Amino acid sequence: MELDEEYDVLLRDVCIRAAKSRISSNDTDDVRIIQAVQALDDIDRNVNELSERLLEWYGAYFPELELTGEALASFVTSFGSRANVPAGHPLHEKASGSMGAEISFADEELLRTFASNLCSLYDTRRHIESYIVTGMGSLAPNLSDIAGALLGARLISMAGSLQKLASFPSSTVQVIGAHRALFKHLRSNTPSPKHGIIYNNIIIKNAPWWQRGKLARAFASKISLAARTDLYSGKKNPSIRESMEKKLNAIRAANPSPPKRESKPTGKPGPKGRGRNRKGGRR
Amino acid sequence: MPVEELSDGIFNLSIDDRQMLATRNLMPGISVYGERLIVEDDVEYRQWDPSRSKLGAMVLRNFEIPLTYDSTVLYLGAASGTTVSHVSDILRDGLVYAVEFSPRTMRDLLQLCDQRPNIIPILADANKPQSYAHIVEKVDVIFQDVAQPNQAEIAAVNSKYFLEENGHLMLSIKSRSIDTVASPKKIFKDEVRKLESGFDVEFEVLQRKELEPFHEDHLGVLARMFVDHEEKE
Ligand SMILES: C[S@@+](CC[C@H](N)C(=O)[O-])C[C@H]1O[C@@H](n2cnc3c(N)ncnc32)[C@H](O)[C@@H]1O
Repeated sequence: MELDEEYDVLLRDVCIRAAKSRISSNDTDDVRIIQAVQALDDIDRNVNELSERLLEWYGAYFPELELTGEALASFVTSFGSRANVPAGHPLHEKASGSMGAEISFADEELLRTFASNLCSLYDTRRHIESYIVTGMGSLAPNLSDIAGALLGARLISMAGSLQKLASFPSSTVQVIGAHRALFKHLRSNTPSPKHGIIYNNIIIKNAPWWQRGKLARAFASKISLAARTDLYSGKKNPSIRESMEKKLNAIRAANPSPPKRESKPTGKPGPKGRGRNRKGGRR
Repeated sequence: MPVEELSDGIFNLSIDDRQMLATRNLMPGISVYGERLIVEDDVEYRQWDPSRSKLGAMVLRNFEIPLTYDSTVLYLGAASGTTVSHVSDILRDGLVYAVEFSPRTMRDLLQLCDQRPNIIPILADANKPQSYAHIVEKVDVIFQDVAQPNQAEIAAVNSKYFLEENGHLMLSIKSRSIDTVASPKKIFKDEVRKLESGFDVEFEVLQRKELEPFHEDHLGVLARMFVDHEEKE
């Protein structure tokens, strides 16, 4: 009797530990990647703000300098005052003829520090990206193969987990990230969104407008398949990509030219709205 | 406040003319999912909401509940442990093996297990009883609430592996998990027939009732398993 009880205590202990360790190996992979994706977004937001600030601030001393973003930050980090741009440097001439104000030593130091912090944020960003790519290779090899590691990671992040992404119907995957367009569509009769963040993949982005909806649907369905394969087998299966290529090519071949516009001059929101919509799409 | 014990460990409290289902709190002072705690005669009870628990609903639909203080129970589809916590209350001197296959959900269940010494958590798929056969011993009762299309089959294979001779199976069948369009009545009939003669273990269905109004399109089933055909007579 006592032995029995001891056994149960032990068994329970072992079971709790087994479950915990399986959960920590199972669950944390996508949690880590989701955190990394969100860190990317945080960095982007901050980097944008800070580099805007640097542009304006440094612009007072060197308004002719036409650099932005990381190029600007690394220029300021290496030279500080435009007086330090050496002869022979492509910007030397602009620097010596600048109408900008003289920079004091204190300001120069401050701006250099500011700019170099910005540079390390850009570095960290790259670092995180490669972390995501590596992590996705083991968490979701098929999804990475189909959608690319970064888009794949973003889909997982927006779905909440790999498991959730895998459980979505592909029509949902197709519009993940299109919340605003979707709600607008539900409220007023704008056309329903054909793609959410999967739009960012060149498969859709570079396609002519009349193929996009069809391509997006096929793409989303392969993404779903890939996510499910990743969740249940975890092994890479190249045939998913092959069948996707086939499918996409078939769609491209079947729709070589834009459909004829319906020749109704009346301002029906349907087809007209569609044509107009494409305009903003080609970025 | 009148307290009536409906069956082992399951109580009906009357508070201000209202009836309340409850179990006796194994861990006084701790509320598991925000349910109300009520103390009467130095005993603390936990309110048991039948609309959050198929087993709770079965109690109120007058099922004969086969649980006693020292039963061992295999619970399939434990989720985060809402119902398991009440089973744990009932089985003061018993044990419940709680099987759940979603790691995220198991995480919540584990917190419950940390508090309660009579729950053994198993992260596994109930379709694969082999994967926990080394852990689970013969049990008196299997309770199953998995909301899967092959519910009857899951119940049968697990019973074959783990249920004592003449042990009881309590089952919640969700018609929509089996077929979203067919009529629940027809689905229930088919599932019960499967239990009675569709597998190499056989069950005698003792009670079957829909769990309305607590759970829509759910059937509760209480059955007893026969291992050997000869033993039936
Ligand atoms: C309706 S919920 C159970 C609710 C729980 N019985 C309660 O009353 O608190 C069904 C649960 O069964 C789990 N489940 C479904 N299929 C399963 C399987 N094959 N093996 C183990 N658990 C499963 C689901 O993850 C889900 O948590």
